[in-house]
Amino acid sequence: MSSRIGVDIGGTFTDFILYDESGNTVTIDKIPTTPSSPEIAVVEVIKRNLDADALSKVDFFLHGTTVGLNALLERKGSKVGLICTKGFRDTLEIRRGDRDEMYNLFWQPSPPLVPRYLRIEIEERLLADGNTHTPLNKDQIKEACKFFIKEEVTSVAIAYINSYTNKKHELDTEKIFRDNGFKGQISLSSMVSGEYREYERTTTTVIDAFVKDRMSNYLNSLKKQLNSIGFKGSFLVTRSGSGSMTFDEAEDRPFETIMSGPVAGAEGAGELSRKLENINLVTADVGGTSFDTCLIINGRPQIQFEGKIVGLPVQSPWVDVRSIGAGGGSIAYLDEGGLIRSGPQSSGAVPGPACYGKGGKKPTTTDAAFFLGMLGEGKLASGLELNKSFAEEALISVGGKINLSAHDTAKGILKISSSNMADAIREITIEQGIDPRELKLLAFGGAGPLMSNLIAEELDIKEIIVPPFSGNFSAWGLLGADLLQMNARTKILRLSDESINECNNILKELFSELEKRQKIDFSASNQIKEVALDMRWMGQEHTITLKLEKEKDGKISLNSNQLKDLFMNEYLRTFGSKLDTIVEIVSTRASLRVPLPRKSETGNIKQDDIKITNNKIKCYSFKKDEIIDFNIVSRSDLKSDSSGPIIIVESTAITYVDANYDVKKDKDNNLIINNREM
Amino acid sequence: MNEELHHYKCGIDRKAEKFEVDPVTTQIVRNSLNSAAEQMKRALCRTAMSPVIYEVLDFAGAIYDNHYRLLAQAPSLPLFMGTLNFCIEEAVKGVGGENNLEDGDIIIYNSPYGTGSHPQDAALVAPVFFENELVAYTAIKAHWLDIAGKEPYSTDTVDVFQEGTVYPGVKLFSKGKLVDDIYKMCIANSRVPNSVAGDINAQAIGVKAGASALKRILSKYGIKKFRASAESIFDAGEMIVKNYLKKIPNGEYTGFGQMDSNGVEPGKVPFEIKVIIEDEKVILDMSKAPKQQNGPINCPLPSTVSTARVAMSMLAGSNEAPNEGFFRPIEVITKPGTLFHPISPAPVFLYGWPALQAMEVFYRALGSKFPEKVPASSGGCINAIVWWGIREKTGEPWADGAPHPVGQGASIFGDGATCLHHAESATRFAPAEVWENRNPWLVNRVELIQDSGGAGKYRGGLGVNLEFTMLEDSYATTVCERTQLAPWGLNGGKEGLANNCYVINQDEKFTEAAKATRVSIKKGNRVLIQCGGGGGYGKPEEREKSKIINDLKQGYISTEYLKKYYPNIEIN
Repeated sequence: MSSRIGVDIGGTFTDFILYDESGNTVTIDKIPTTPSSPEIAVVEVIKRNLDADALSKVDFFLHGTTVGLNALLERKGSKVGLICTKGFRDTLEIRRGDRDEMYNLFWQPSPPLVPRYLRIEIEERLLADGNTHTPLNKDQIKEACKFFIKEEVTSVAIAYINSYTNKKHELDTEKIFRDNGFKGQISLSSMVSGEYREYERTTTTVIDAFVKDRMSNYLNSLKKQLNSIGFKGSFLVTRSGSGSMTFDEAEDRPFETIMSGPVAGAEGAGELSRKLENINLVTADVGGTSFDTCLIINGRPQIQFEGKIVGLPVQSPWVDVRSIGAGGGSIAYLDEGGLIRSGPQSSGAVPGPACYGKGGKKPTTTDAAFFLGMLGEGKLASGLELNKSFAEEALISVGGKINLSAHDTAKGILKISSSNMADAIREITIEQGIDPRELKLLAFGGAGPLMSNLIAEELDIKEIIVPPFSGNFSAWGLLGADLLQMNARTKILRLSDESINECNNILKELFSELEKRQKIDFSASNQIKEVALDMRWMGQEHTITLKLEKEKDGKISLNSNQLKDLFMNEYLRTFGSKLDTIVEIVSTRASLRVPLPRKSETGNIKQDDIKITNNKIKCYSFKKDEIIDFNIVSRSDLKSDSSGPIIIVESTAITYVDANYDVKKDKDNNLIINNREM
Repeated sequence: MNEELHHYKCGIDRKAEKFEVDPVTTQIVRNSLNSAAEQMKRALCRTAMSPVIYEVLDFAGAIYDNHYRLLAQAPSLPLFMGTLNFCIEEAVKGVGGENNLEDGDIIIYNSPYGTGSHPQDAALVAPVFFENELVAYTAIKAHWLDIAGKEPYSTDTVDVFQEGTVYPGVKLFSKGKLVDDIYKMCIANSRVPNSVAGDINAQAIGVKAGASALKRILSKYGIKKFRASAESIFDAGEMIVKNYLKKIPNGEYTGFGQMDSNGVEPGKVPFEIKVIIEDEKVILDMSKAPKQQNGPINCPLPSTVSTARVAMSMLAGSNEAPNEGFFRPIEVITKPGTLFHPISPAPVFLYGWPALQAMEVFYRALGSKFPEKVPASSGGCINAIVWWGIREKTGEPWADGAPHPVGQGASIFGDGATCLHHAESATRFAPAEVWENRNPWLVNRVELIQDSGGAGKYRGGLGVNLEFTMLEDSYATTVCERTQLAPWGLNGGKEGLANNCYVINQDEKFTEAAKATRVSIKKGNRVLIQCGGGGGYGKPEEREKSKIINDLKQGYISTEYLKKYYPNIEIN
């Protein structure tokens, strides 16, 4: 009933996945990313898998893109002018006073996205309760408009103090700009976010203004090209805060897509968890340059409401995916104190790991794994054959300085990077008051299944799951993303039955804004309204976001005692302690979810298996601390109820199964890998 | 060696013979320890009650071995971190020594001469046992909003007893159980009991989180490997700092600093610090300091030592969070009875201010000979204000406080950064929108001060003006140092603008209140905190023309400034 295409653009590769409803088949493919015009690779990979007729039968195109992120990374976006409240011209530049590298005496923040001469103050002031203290000075706005036009500003951000409580001044300002002939993009902080903290909200608004044109051009061009080759379905793009949005909405709110890169994997993990009766998972997504991890509790990834990218805060829902610079390409080196470290520097696609033989001289995690035999014979799907003596040379260049052999250096690199990954997982679990031993580890990405035994062992996790198409799992995750929109408002209220009524009034407004924002033609009956409250003990700053799972129709029916109990239990679960004072509601959150028509089962995989010439290889067993014989098996030939040591090969990933693990295949074609000694 | 002088070696040496542990295990243990410290910090921040902890990060959490050697820390307040070994050692003495420690104990300790801080900075210390052996400590020292001194915050105490309640090392938890009697005492001795109750809760959650993370590491590697790794971690740290010191020739360099006043008497308090570089070792000779003061600007030995540790770590530590090894090449010489080594009960409430000054003077001393190694002076203070009052409508007490950032000194690497902290480097100040929700304030402006950065080949970072209107009657204690000694330039660079603080009444009359206790601020009156700029680096005539023109275009400098410092630049 609904065939769909997912295309996820990564730093090195653009991943393609097609789910064809009619034959219940899945096709995966990979193509090098074309950084200067990413749509070229997207169109190319679609064309080589589908003809016009087949394409016309596809209902959805789901896209994960880094166009917005790249605009920020490269600082290539619109020329932005900022309109702000008198006295707050320098909010962007003053930041919050903290030094990102606190032991670096010479640390410098990156320059603000809007230079000071394009930040114009306006006499106006709203109070924290939304009342007007100083009315808007309209003449100053007209002057500012003239100045921006003269300076060829193409995008304007408007961010007044306390506008999260009252949009009026910002809306009036926008109107004056339009009335006075400004034709570029305009971003309002009150539309971007209803939450307080002016540095964070202003920065987010400026980011929105900065990437809007570039994003809009990209999405339009992609839409046109896909239509011209025969696509007739809906265009969707993933959000940083999980779910997806239509291209039209993404053009309005591009900042919501900034961090959508790692989200698709988290979405896929959520869907997989829901299929397996909501088991709790932690993900280990290991790519070329980074390790991403995310907690899946009750079938959903955890959402935060502020993120950070290239040192800038983004006040927007954000799937809580933590990244560290540890991937297959991470470079190992000796630090000042003479100890081995791995990452965050990466060899990238060029020159790549030393064993690729493309000029890389520094040892990477891939070199270490290949040297130990973990990558099997070293034949990659692309046809590249890895070179062992290059790997050895690189390993010796580092290990030799501290009298380690290539073998011991390789072991060390893998142990150090897997323990770094385990520490990252430990930090996200402890924040949520969760013991990692209670979780299953879902490993994907090019090097996730390779590292999974080591990570699980560090965390005392018994069971590892390796999903189908594990190397393309992020793209697969795209296919399951619901349409989702979120809206929130900060209004600090002491918990009482009366304040719950007030929250319900806020919710009504939030949902009506969302419905206006929505540009979708799916039947309205499909909508699910979700409600959450940020709550805290009075006096605390940090809040706990309480999802009110039972409230389905967009309002709160609980009374204040019930709500307080829910909050107290959640606090106790998270922090293991109880307080008893006044409870406050800080922000009210509304989400509108439109599930896409469910795709049926996982489907039959169409992919090229790698040809295996030998069925055994000498490989290092971390368990036994010696080199032993590992079986090499192609994933499709693997029999359920196998036992390690095995190297399992598929076209986009390799799974390392040590001697103390058993492997099963479940009905959805997941590999379930169990430590039989736990 | 002068008999009267006190020599302190800042880092403790190896305790064990070399036991071979592979560098991989060492590295993994190091990362896991850093992660354990990070977990302590996150647990604390997420549960703390006072903004001073969760926003200002006015705390330090760290893990020490049973010889009080720093294993790992989470980035927070460096000056606190450098004192924690003293806190732990004294806390353990307070309960009668190691033999009286049991698994599950948490000690509370805040005696100023042991913590190096004012009594508000209270440490919670948890011994960590593994297989019935005392292996380590986790400790968090954090600033409580109020601990029942003569005022919530003071600049004019005359002995430590006016500064707050003292907990000389008593068990707050015994074998895992809260000791109710002590807990009640803590709560009773505060003007904001709820906040203190919440912060004790948070600190206890934090040290427990650290202890359980540590036990996990111990059970993975065993005590023997763990200890051997620790020794290797320290050795590696020592090498980092020594490698830096190697590159500086032996010699003695002197820097001068000055406090505006001692808080109770008029008159500046000048001091000098000698830096001696001697074969991969650095000695900070602070023994020429003036005698201990009648007002609270005395800096107890633990904080003096901490200053040396932090200053060297920021300079020579390869941008990393230090461990015990970093401190081994550092020695501090003090003279008991002086500003940097006072004797109890001399008042110490403002100990942090001379400590911060000492750091910059240390850089100044080095810069006199090696200007390329250090930055010019920053604004030189944290410009702190603590505010409090009773809410008109509800009658509820409120209190808040924050340090405010200053422009940074320029260096050979370029212009100084705008608005950062120097040593309180992870500290953040709250957004105006949060302030206006929490306190009866209207924030009028938070803006850069034109012309506040010192001119030079590289310009000093700009300072910032923060101005508030009080919407209800309230009180404030202000501590802004360096109002008299402007941020110095380096290598020919010019001075930046000095700090100050004013109360402004409704007739626009400005009253200076830079270091003042319990200043009454009536409804409708304003407070202006002027946070200074940084000093310049190199001669102004060497500055690139394009940079000068850009400074003018952005409004960082005025045409008057241009004419004064760059008279040869023509602007059309």
